[in-house]
Amino acid sequence: MPDLSITIAGIEMKNPLTVGSGTYGHHGRFSQFFPVETMGALVPKTIRPHQWPGNPPQRVLEVPAGLHSSVGIPSIPWDQFETEDAPRLKALNLPVIQSVIGRTEDEYAEVVRRCTDLDAFAGLELNLSCPNLKQGGLDFGYDPDAAYRLVSRAREQTDLPLIAKLAPDYSSLVPVAQAIEAAGADAVALVNAPRAMCIDADTLKPMIGNGVGALSGPAIKPMAVYMVWTLYRAISLPIFGMGGVATYRDVIEFMAAGASAVAFGTVSYVDPMALPRALRELEAWMAQNGIDDVEQLVGAAHDADFERPQSRRVA
Amino acid sequence: MEQTDAPVVSNTHLTGEYWLLEVEAPSVAAALEPGQFVNIRIRDSLAPFLRRPFSVYRVNPEKTRLQVAYKILGNGTRLMKETLQPGALCDLIGPLGKGFELPEDAKTIALVGRGIGIAALPMLADLAAARGVTSHAFLSARSRDNLVGAEIFASHGGQVFTHADDTPDDVALVTDHLLRMAESTAFDAMYVCGSNRLIRQVDKLARAHGIPAQSAMEQHMACGFGDCHGCIIEVNLDRDGESRGYREVCHHGPVFNTWEVANA
Ligand SMILES: Cc1cc2nc3c(=O)[nH]c(=O)nc-3n(C[C@H](O)[C@H](O)[C@H](O)COP(=O)(O)OP(=O)(O)OC[C@H]3O[C@@H](n4cnc5c(N)ncnc54)[C@H](O)[C@@H]3O)c2cc1C
Ligand SMILES: Cc1cc2nc3c(=O)[nH]c(=O)nc-3n(C[C@H](O)[C@H](O)[C@H](O)COP(=O)(O)O)c2cc1C
Ligand code: FES
Repeated sequence: MPDLSITIAGIEMKNPLTVGSGTYGHHGRFSQFFPVETMGALVPKTIRPHQWPGNPPQRVLEVPAGLHSSVGIPSIPWDQFETEDAPRLKALNLPVIQSVIGRTEDEYAEVVRRCTDLDAFAGLELNLSCPNLKQGGLDFGYDPDAAYRLVSRAREQTDLPLIAKLAPDYSSLVPVAQAIEAAGADAVALVNAPRAMCIDADTLKPMIGNGVGALSGPAIKPMAVYMVWTLYRAISLPIFGMGGVATYRDVIEFMAAGASAVAFGTVSYVDPMALPRALRELEAWMAQNGIDDVEQLVGAAHDADFERPQSRRVA
Repeated sequence: MEQTDAPVVSNTHLTGEYWLLEVEAPSVAAALEPGQFVNIRIRDSLAPFLRRPFSVYRVNPEKTRLQVAYKILGNGTRLMKETLQPGALCDLIGPLGKGFELPEDAKTIALVGRGIGIAALPMLADLAAARGVTSHAFLSARSRDNLVGAEIFASHGGQVFTHADDTPDDVALVTDHLLRMAESTAFDAMYVCGSNRLIRQVDKLARAHGIPAQSAMEQHMACGFGDCHGCIIEVNLDRDGESRGYREVCHHGPVFNTWEVANA
């Protein structure tokens, strides 16, 4: 039996498969199709410290091989998260990495501290890259100084592994990632869905309620793989890779580019069984190809003589 | 809710712009309630990418098969007509959403539909008939051959009023018939699907008579089962419309009380 387990940012996962925050929803109804414990770790939807209804309709639209969306991170009241969601998540038999967002540095620090106090999570993901929020999110991930300050503040609030989630929109991806590493993050997650827009040729108006939205699904996969590949060479932190993953071959591709764990997102809306099927097929593929440890795949696409920057922090 | 590969029984022209797909899906059919929907993956490829939601039109008496009446609108429905032929498997998730509520003591109900919206109502008419409830149907469409399912409503013995926009002898709107009939008939509930104007009219009447009224709604969907938060509509949170909020059509609906959606 091949060994599928990995350790990333100090979090032990029995296999490298997880879900992109937000695509599993607040409730994870798609796990009615298979046990949630099948995956190596669960990343629930981003939570913010204050209730928020999210963006106006229309929120989703099909585009070629993908989804154009602008949901805007609707959030339940914190009390409800604390009394209902957190205990339910804590009771699951797998590591839960809670994604968090704020509008200001203070709000990020606040939500990190509150989540740490809940004693329910194996790690925290800082969403630095939501394309659908007017305030917060994206701007922090765009500017290396702001990202450094924000991650440093969050670092002071928690001993939990901190994962910074980035979008591919930036020309400054590498400097931002380096700043995040210097500020003490334990891993990066990428890509968040890049900003996108669709305009109706009849009305000449944007087709979704918020105007600007995001693009996800297989349409973005080659770009996402490139971003993972780029950061693998630029920083030493382990990477959660995602963006258009649909099959076990996509998992291999992301791992070869440098991801240690791989998240399924939009595909689960279309095919809720995509993740468990990919897991089975990955295992069979490894057995067939004589690969006994999944960690051997990480970074395999880089030149044999390429040396990754030495890891500063845990695994 | 389950995902199943349902063998296609038939996929044929129904009437006007509509087609009728019938699939063998015993466990879904047995669990379905009127007003619920299924989400169909038209083929295992990236185009079309998302599933497509459809109301369930009817379930056979043995509850082993379900039917979807659909209008060819874009790429997905065009491929649905071409590829989902007998012998093929139809990947569907269902039953989804919250269906219509038929009050236990109801004796007479009104079904009001326009265009493809009518497709959400025959299963409710079937259930009503099985419970001994009389349903009167008020159907409208752009043209006469787009009045889907009129014969189903008629077969249950209630009255059927129709209106086609392009038919010169159809002078009276179905809402005129509804208003007139409501003066002499005590409807115990009303159901509407198809246009905002109709929903508003039905809601007004329901409020005046103090009876429940429900409407089946549509919104673009990504998942169809409540995880993506994509399919929201704005609703009234109270009957006076003083506070508003968002609700997911796939999960909280697609059936809502008309007071929730009438002014949204
Ligand atoms: C709960 C529900 C029940 C429905 N029941 C029926 C029915 O019984 N019969 C029927 O003909 N149609 C029904 N529809 C509408 C049907 O889903 C769309 O007509 C269909 O998705 C169009 O797909 P297309 O690829 O042909 O069109 P395209 O225009 O190419 O569709 C592109 C995208 O928009 C989405 N979309 C387009 N129109 C709608 C719409 N009105 N509602 C939701 N998503 C839409 C599609 O799912 C797809 O993601 C229902 C919709 C909902 C939400
Ligand atoms: C509907 C939707 C909601 C999302 N919500 C969040 C979110 O709350 N937090 C977050 O970090 N990413 C969110 N994402 C981004 C995904 O986690 C993922 O990074 C992105 O969609 C790329 O992966 P994919 O192409 O496989 O979906 C969301 C994506 C979608 C489609
Ligand atoms: S379609 Fe995903 S929540 Fe309704």
